[in-house]
Amino acid sequence: MEMSGEQTILRPQAVTWSSITDPRVLKACIPGCESMDKVGDNEYELVMGAKVGPVSAKFKGKITLADVDAPHAYTLIFEGQGGVAGFAKGQANVRLLPDGETTRLQYTAKAMIGGKLAQVGSRLVDGVARKMAESFFSAFNEHVSGVKGEG
Amino acid sequence: MYAFEYHRPSSIKEAASLARKLADAKLIAGGQSMVPALKLRLARPTAMIDLNDLPELRGISVVGTNVVIGALTRHAEVAASKDVLMTLPVLAKVAAGIGDHQVRNMGTLGGAIANNDPAADYPAALLGLGATVTTNKRDIPADKFFTGMYETALKPGEIIASVSFPMAKRAAYIKFRNPASRFALVGVFVSETAGNVRVAVTGAAPCVFRVKNMEKALASKFAPEAIARIRVPADNLNSDLHAGAEYRSHLITVLAQRAVEAALSGK
Amino acid sequence: MNAPVIGTRVERKEDYRFLTGSGTYTDDVALPGQTCAYFLRSQHAHAKINRIDISKAKTAPGVIEVFTGADLPGSVGGLPCGWLITDVNGQPMKEPKHPLLAQGKVRYVGDHVAVVIAETLNQAKDACELIEVDYEVLPAVVNVADARKPGAAQVHDIAPDNTCYVWALGDKTAVDKAFAQAAHVTKLDFINNRLIPNAIEPRAAVASYSRGDDSYTLYVTSQNPHVARLLMTAFVLGLPEHKLRVIAPDVGGGFGSKIFLYAEETVLTWASKQVNRPIKWTAERSESFVSDAHGRDHLTSAELALDKNGGFLALRVHTTANMGAYLSTFASCIPTILYATLLAGQYTTPAIYCEVTAVFTNTAPVDAYRGAGRPEASYVIERLVSTAAREMKIPDADIRRRNFIKEFPYQTPVALCYDTGDYEATLTEALKLADVAGFEARRKEAAARGKLRGLGYSAYIEACGLAPSNVAGSLGARAGLFEAGEVRVHPTGKVTVFTGSHSHGQGHETTFAQVVADRLGLGVDDVDIVHGDTGRILFGMGTYGSRSIAVGGTAIVKALDKIVAKGKRIAAHLLEAPDADIEFKDGKFTVAGTDRQVPFAQVALSAYVPHHYPLDKLEPGLNESAVYDPTNFTFPAGSHICEVEVDPDTGATKIVNFTAVDDFGKTINPMIVEGQVHGGLAQGIGQALLEACVYDRETGQLLTGTYLDYAVPRADDLPSFKVTTRETPCTHNPLGVKGCGEAGAIGAPAAVINAIVDALAHLGIRDIEMPATPQRVWQALQSAKKERIAT
Repeated sequence: MEMSGEQTILRPQAVTWSSITDPRVLKACIPGCESMDKVGDNEYELVMGAKVGPVSAKFKGKITLADVDAPHAYTLIFEGQGGVAGFAKGQANVRLLPDGETTRLQYTAKAMIGGKLAQVGSRLVDGVARKMAESFFSAFNEHVSGVKGEG
Repeated sequence: MYAFEYHRPSSIKEAASLARKLADAKLIAGGQSMVPALKLRLARPTAMIDLNDLPELRGISVVGTNVVIGALTRHAEVAASKDVLMTLPVLAKVAAGIGDHQVRNMGTLGGAIANNDPAADYPAALLGLGATVTTNKRDIPADKFFTGMYETALKPGEIIASVSFPMAKRAAYIKFRNPASRFALVGVFVSETAGNVRVAVTGAAPCVFRVKNMEKALASKFAPEAIARIRVPADNLNSDLHAGAEYRSHLITVLAQRAVEAALSGK
Repeated sequence: MNAPVIGTRVERKEDYRFLTGSGTYTDDVALPGQTCAYFLRSQHAHAKINRIDISKAKTAPGVIEVFTGADLPGSVGGLPCGWLITDVNGQPMKEPKHPLLAQGKVRYVGDHVAVVIAETLNQAKDACELIEVDYEVLPAVVNVADARKPGAAQVHDIAPDNTCYVWALGDKTAVDKAFAQAAHVTKLDFINNRLIPNAIEPRAAVASYSRGDDSYTLYVTSQNPHVARLLMTAFVLGLPEHKLRVIAPDVGGGFGSKIFLYAEETVLTWASKQVNRPIKWTAERSESFVSDAHGRDHLTSAELALDKNGGFLALRVHTTANMGAYLSTFASCIPTILYATLLAGQYTTPAIYCEVTAVFTNTAPVDAYRGAGRPEASYVIERLVSTAAREMKIPDADIRRRNFIKEFPYQTPVALCYDTGDYEATLTEALKLADVAGFEARRKEAAARGKLRGLGYSAYIEACGLAPSNVAGSLGARAGLFEAGEVRVHPTGKVTVFTGSHSHGQGHETTFAQVVADRLGLGVDDVDIVHGDTGRILFGMGTYGSRSIAVGGTAIVKALDKIVAKGKRIAAHLLEAPDADIEFKDGKFTVAGTDRQVPFAQVALSAYVPHHYPLDKLEPGLNESAVYDPTNFTFPAGSHICEVEVDPDTGATKIVNFTAVDDFGKTINPMIVEGQVHGGLAQGIGQALLEACVYDRETGQLLTGTYLDYAVPRADDLPSFKVTTRETPCTHNPLGVKGCGEAGAIGAPAAVINAIVDALAHLGIRDIEMPATPQRVWQALQSAKKERIAT
C-alpha cells in the first residue's frame, strides 16, 4: 500500500533541504536508528531497531538518496536485513514546496517486508509502515522547526 | 528461542526495580503474545521478568460502583467470576470471547492491555466503559492509556496492578471475527453508565478508539436507528487481506447498531 | 453363525492408542546419538545466489556439519516427477532439475538453501543464522494469470514462457460444432483457490546409517514409504534399494501432502552417512506453510453448450494450472489425468474438450491435495450446470436428471468408462434428506429476519482406486499403481496382515481387520494390520486417491482367498476327504453335506505343527501374499445439497444445512465412512468459505503463513452434517467397494458456492470467487447495488 502525508515545516525551503539531506538529522529522526555511516555519495550504512508489540528486530542495511533534485525533491530508499526475522524495504518520495518562509513537505511512501515478518505479520504491515513514516516526518519537523510537528 | 535471564520477583516493588535496572527486559504475565514471538525468534529480550508470583495482582472485587480486577487475573477467571457476572456481565462476555480455551486460561487482563494489540478485546472494554488503570505509580484513565498501535502510556518500570471498571446501566460488545485468527476484524463496545454513553471500536484501526458522534447521538436517543447513518471515515482504518478499510468502516456502523440492540435487550 | 462384521460400526482399534497419547509418530523416535537438523530457507521468491559463506556456522557451538548445494556430489540427482505428460506438440513436458539444496538460484520463499546438523535444535538454529548468503534478488512471477504474460520473470531457462506443458483431451472439432448449434451457452471464469494442506502432524524425518552393513533407516511422515524408498534410492541418491529401510510410523494426516518425496528427508538420508549419526528434522508449523506442497491453484474459463430443453451438448474448458517453482512428485498428472478425465461428471455430455496449460511460478510446488484434480473438475461442471439452470429457468434437480447417465457401463468422451452408479437415487435421497420441499418456506422465514437463504446442489463424481497400471502407464505414469497384501496366519489362528496401503487417519487398522475377520470368521481383535514399513511389507504404492480399500483391500482379499484355498487342502487331509469337498464358512472347514468339520485355528495349528500333514503335497505354514492391479478405476458419486444463510449487512455466510448422499459401493464400516465424509466436507467447505493461500503478487512473499491469516475450518464454522449412503457395488472388485476419502472435498465447494449464488441471484449476482469470505460477499452486494442504481 502506498501512503502519503504532508508536514508544514516552519523553515524556508533551502534550510529544510539542507536538513533533510543531512545524515545527522536523518539519524536523529529515523525511528530506532542506532548508527548511520556514510559509505558513498548519498549512501549510508545503517543499523536500526524496530519494535512492534512483542516482536522486535534489528535491521542492518543501507539508506540511499536517489533522484536528487535539490532543493525540491528526492527519494529516500531503505533496504535492511533483519536476520532470521526477514528483511524490509521502504521508499519515500519527498517533495519540498516553498511557501513563503515555510516549506510544505509532501511525501508518498511504501514499504515491503519479506521472510518470517511477512509470513506472520501481514495484517500489521500497512499500519507499521504508516506509523514509521509519520514518526520519521514528524520527528524531522520537530527537529527542524523546533516545535512538535503537525501532520 | 534465544537464551535470556529469567527473574521471578516476589513483590511488585522488586519487579519494578528489576524492570528499571535491566535494559531490554520484558515483563511476562500470561505470555500468550510474548511466547510465540520468542519461539519464532522474533524477540530477543536479555531478560524476562515473570510476574506470576505476585498474588497482589490477582483477584476480583466489587468496590462501590466499580469492579476492580487484578492485572494478573486470567481471562477464564473473569469469564467465570460471579461478581463480574452479577455486576458487569458484559465484561465476563468479553473475557469469554478472547482467543481459545488455552489462551483464556493463561492470558491476563494486564498482559492484554499492556500489549494493546490493535485487534484485542479488552482495550475496547476499558475504553468503552471509561475504566481506570492503576499501576504501581498512578491511576491512568483508559482515554489516556491506549496511545497507539501496541503503545500505551506505561513508562519503563511501570507495572499495571489492576483495572477499575465502572458498572454500566447497560452495555454490550459485538465482535465480528477475522475468519482465520478469530481476533476482532471489528469489535464495537457500547455502554451507558451514569449519564455517559461510550462507543469504543477495536480491530478497525491501529489502536482502539471512541466514536464521539455516535456517543452523542446515542446520548440523546439510545437506539440503533440513532446511529444508522453515522459512518467512521475509512481513511485511517486498517486494511489487510481479510478486510479493506471501506468494509471495516461499514462494519463499525452495523456492529454498533447491533451492540446498542444487544445492550437494550440485555443479552 | 458369527454376526456380520462387514457393514458394522466397529469402533476404531487405533483410537485407544491415539487418544491416550500412546502413538509413535516420527518425532517420537529417538535414536542413540541422534543429532538435529535445521534448514536454511530462502526469504526471497526468486534470487541468484552469488555466494554462500558457511564458515562461521561450521565453527558454531554444537555444529557437526553444514551442507549446501555445492556439497552434494554430482551423482546425487534432483527430486523426480512421477508422471510424464506429453505436450500437444508431442514433446515431453519441461522437467527442470529440482535440487535437494539450492544450486545457484532460489525459486520460492521457503526453498531449501542449506542444512545445519548440530547436537541440539537450538544450536542448529543459532548456526543457521550465521550462514551468510549473498542473494541477487530477481523479479518474481507469482500469479498463475501472470506466468505467461510477455515480460514475466522466467522461473527456469528450460521452460520458455514458464510453460511446463500444454495438454489437451477430447474432440475439439466435435465440441466446436456442438457450440455452433447450441440453443444456449453458459460461460463462467473461475479461480480454483490455492490451498495449504495443514496436516495436524508436520512433516518429519529421522535418518540413520549403519556402517556395519552400509545400510540406512529412514523414519518419515509418508503416505507411501515404498515409493519414497524407490524414488530416493533409484532416482536421487543412487543407493541400492535394499539398503534403505523406510518406516512411516503413526502419521497424523496427510491429505496428499505426504505422498511426495521432499528434499528434507532425502538430504537427511544422504547426510546420515556423512556424519555417521542419526539426524532428526521436524518441520515447525511456519515451515509447513512454506514448504509442504500446496493444492489446487487453477485459472479456468469454461463453457457449456445446451439444447433448448437444457440437454448438454458440449463442454469446453481451458485451464491454466500452477505447478509452483518445481514439479513435485505427482504435480503434472493432477490438472490433466485426474482433472480433464472427470469433466463428464454424472452427465451424458457427448462432446468435451479440455486444454490445460501448466505453468511454473515462484511459489511452493503444487501437487495433490484431497481430491486432487477432481474437486477442480467437479467445481467447473457443477457451477456451470447450476448457472445454466438459472439462465434457462430450469430447476436444479431437473436439469441434472435430464442429463444423468442412466445406463452402465458408460464410456465418457474423456477416456473413462464408468462401471456402475445410480445418480437419480442419490439425488432423490438428497432432496428428501435436505427437505428441499420445505425450502421456500424457510427462505421466507429467513427473509423476514433480514437474511438471504440459498440452496446449492452438487452432483459430483470421482475416479478412485488408482488405478490399472497399464492404463496409467499409457498415460505417462512412471510407476505401477497396484497394491500388495500379505496375510500371515499364526499357529494359534490369530492373524497379522501386512498391507502396502498406509493409514494416516483413515482407520485401516479397523476397516481392514473387519474384512479379514469377516472372511476368516474371526473376531476383529484377532487381526492386526501392519503398514508403513518397507522392512516388513512386501511392497506398496501407498494411500492416496481414495484407493486403499478398493486396491489395498482387494489385495488382502486375494491373499485371503489363497489362505482359504490352502486351508481347505489342509482340512481335507485332516478330515480325510477330497479337497474339492471342503467348504469354508463361519471360520470352519466342513466336508460338504456332512457335520464333519475342523475350525480355522486347528488348521492353522496343523500348518505349523505338521505332525499329521500332507507334506508330500503342501508346504507347512499358512502365509500368503497377493498383489492386485485393478482392471478399472472405481467411480464413487453422490449428491450434495447445501443450504446457506447470508447476512447482507456483514456479508457473512452461515451454512445452516449440509446434506451428502454418497454412493461408495459397499461400505465396510459406516462410522468410519461417515468420519471420512465429515472430514472431506469440512475441507470442501473450508475451500469454499475460508481457505486461501495468498502470495504477494509482486514479491512472492507468503502472506498467509500462519493461522492468523490462513483460515482452516473449525467445528463452529460447520453445521451438523446430514450424511447417508446408497450402494451400487463396484463391479470389478470382490468387495464391491469404491472409496470414500475424498468425496466430501470434491462435492462440497460447488454446493456451497451454488447456495450462496442462489441466495444472491435475485440481486443480479451470478458468481462469487472462492473463498466466499464475508468481505467478498459484501463487496458483491455493494457492486450489485451500484449496478442497480446505475441502470
